[in-house]
Amino acid sequence: MTEDIVLKIDSISKSYPGVKALQNISLSIKKGEVRALLGENGAGKSTLIKCIMGVEKADSGTVSICVDGEWKVPQSVGESKAYGMHANYQNVNIARELSIAENYFLGRIPVTRAGIVDWKLMNRESKKIIDKFEMNVNPQDKISELPIAMQEMVTISKISVNDTIRLVIFDEPTALLENEKVEILYRYIRELKERGVSIIYISHRLEELMEICDTVTILKDGQYVDTKNICDVDKDMLVSMMVGREVGDLYNIEHAEIGERLLEVQDLAAEGMFKNVSFQLNAGEILGFAGLVGAGRSEVMRAIFGVERLDFGKVFIRGKEVKIKNAQDAIKNGIGFLTEDRRVDGLALPLSVKINTNMYSYDSISKAGFINIKKEKERAEEYRAKIGVKTPGIEQCVENLSGGNQQKVVIAKLLCRDPDILIFDEPTVGVDVGAKQEIYKIIEMLAKQGKGIILISSYLPEVMGLSDRMVIMSEGKISGVLDKDEISMTTEEDILRMASSIA
Amino acid sequence: MNKNKLKSTGILKGTEFSLVIIIVVIFMAASFGTQNFFTEYNLMNILKQCSIIGVISVSATFIIITGGIDLSCGAVCGMSTLIVAMGQAKWGMSVPASIGAALLVSVLCGIYNAFIIHEFKVPPFIATLGSMTILRGLIKVISNASTIAGLNKKFGEFASESVMKIPKLAVIWVIVVVIAFFLLRYTTFGRNLYVLGSGQEVARLSGVSIRKVTYMTYGVAGFLCGIAGIMLAARINSSVPTAGSGYEMNAIAASVIGGASLSGAKGSVWGTALGTVLMTLIDNAGIQFGINSFVMEISTGVLITIAVIVDQLKNRKTR
Repeated sequence: MTEDIVLKIDSISKSYPGVKALQNISLSIKKGEVRALLGENGAGKSTLIKCIMGVEKADSGTVSICVDGEWKVPQSVGESKAYGMHANYQNVNIARELSIAENYFLGRIPVTRAGIVDWKLMNRESKKIIDKFEMNVNPQDKISELPIAMQEMVTISKISVNDTIRLVIFDEPTALLENEKVEILYRYIRELKERGVSIIYISHRLEELMEICDTVTILKDGQYVDTKNICDVDKDMLVSMMVGREVGDLYNIEHAEIGERLLEVQDLAAEGMFKNVSFQLNAGEILGFAGLVGAGRSEVMRAIFGVERLDFGKVFIRGKEVKIKNAQDAIKNGIGFLTEDRRVDGLALPLSVKINTNMYSYDSISKAGFINIKKEKERAEEYRAKIGVKTPGIEQCVENLSGGNQQKVVIAKLLCRDPDILIFDEPTVGVDVGAKQEIYKIIEMLAKQGKGIILISSYLPEVMGLSDRMVIMSEGKISGVLDKDEISMTTEEDILRMASSIA
Repeated sequence: MNKNKLKSTGILKGTEFSLVIIIVVIFMAASFGTQNFFTEYNLMNILKQCSIIGVISVSATFIIITGGIDLSCGAVCGMSTLIVAMGQAKWGMSVPASIGAALLVSVLCGIYNAFIIHEFKVPPFIATLGSMTILRGLIKVISNASTIAGLNKKFGEFASESVMKIPKLAVIWVIVVVIAFFLLRYTTFGRNLYVLGSGQEVARLSGVSIRKVTYMTYGVAGFLCGIAGIMLAARINSSVPTAGSGYEMNAIAASVIGGASLSGAKGSVWGTALGTVLMTLIDNAGIQFGINSFVMEISTGVLITIAVIVDQLKNRKTR
């Protein structure tokens, strides 16, 4: 039995100032095993994989890997890689200004006999990988010009470039992927498994773990909870082990009464991105937007918000046509926008919770440019309590908060302004189950207050479970609209079909 | 909790507290260790030296907080010196008129920087490198590369006058620092500098007008450099073509020593003021101790490096 084991983690501990991130964690993983690592944000998953890979040095304990029957203890990231350990980290981690081919061969660029870079070989080899992962891009394409989902695919596919692969760690690989790409990832994982490669797989999406993993290890607050065979557990069990409490049906929220029309858009178009987009949003309504990544959902919302090009179309708010040219106009018209990537355009990471909370609405608490400091503080405290942001204080940098709490700060920022229309673009990406449920509760509360909510989510159970009405987009066009009853009669497969415009 | 509070809301943050201690130590050492340091004349001199570079450093700090950099501040200061001198000596302007003209030109220089940076998306480093070179050339063209003397007598005397034993130049500096502190802390303009420094996208999507903030920041910076130039004209009672040369590096150094981060969103005017004092003090004390001035230059370089390393180490700890 023991000869099957490839990776041994022996009582690893790691502390940061003020936090015990990992306490005495021991695990072992067998050859060809797909092991899920599950825990709320802050449970220590990311720290653990960093310690395994040697990116962070553990305070005590060892990680050893079996290389052809011999146990090795890698001392650095370089050694880990040489022993065949690879990781795909959560925050897309590539050289953005280089091409796909250069990224694949980063650190080992092939040269011709004359000593110059062998572009031909690089492009040829890269093309093979690109085809294998069905990415439909060119090896010379620059990373920064690709959509974020495609960037994620590049980092995933990059692993296959390595010669020796014994262990692969995926940290939330599907957070940014649409379903079709998820299938490609699964195929790759199964292929690796067959080759005897062991896999550590981190995801908050329990349905995924059920599908792809053999075993699951649960961490909580930096401590080991248990390891189980995936066939012996169900979702409810996992969730309760993870959070230490019972969580009811996640998407079971109370729906509000639908009121007056808040927003109507007609025939919106932006060349090359979307066209003929028309929809309405009413007070108290949760309007879901489903579709594949790149279907143009975010672009439509960004255009409505005035920060992306809009070539054509009309926007009406409460029946009156408005021209929104920039974010200021949108905010003044009562629109709040939670963007897809909070780290890029949702939060001022180096600044405090207080400033971030007030960022949207300084004009409403200042006179002639002078801020009412007392109100600034009061409002930050008020919304911290209302939304339940867990932070040592409002002066804390948002950079130091967990993903879920960062997202709550973004929501606090929007609510501070008291907008009528809220656009949530992937509000639960990278947040744990506990925080997810809290965010759903906030959405429920907002709908009850008579706000209109647009919810973009690539995660079908979420968008189907929460929406009063659903719009499905495909390749820049609306390919279907479903009302509440229709949603309950439609399967995920049907929606996928609409989203990929096969129907 | 209490400690946290002090750290973030107190006037003396970590960096600033250590700066005060270093300043006090050097001050004591020089006072007891040398004959001529602790004399009225020398202390006045240190204050005067601080004032001009201190005002420019405030402008540098504003820009660094937005994530930008201004290499033209020394040249703008030099241009302002030239306009004041030419105005009074050659163009027959009254003192207020020459000051007004100098400030106007300085603000225009700042707005020009903002125009290049915002409208053409030129990185601030390059944009201001360009304007610095243009201004240096312009100064030589206008002045024929010669010294302009013959300024109004009263104007020149201003620089050597004091109120309650404090040089008037230093009073101006203190006023600038106090106003800048209020701007950063209590106005939406100040908040927006930090938000912009955190990232253009987050600023844009939060409804901050990047155009407005950029123009205002560089405009204000130009204005401050203009004030510094006028102070310099009064101090040397003339204009020389090289006036303000190298001030940009001192100003950036003072900001960085004071805790500003070139990646933006970090920096305070108190820190910068202390950074200015520390740099001037080291220079002066070195001279008093009779240390080779070239060695002093090395020590300033070392100081800047250490300041940044300490900052990096601190950041690493909080992660």
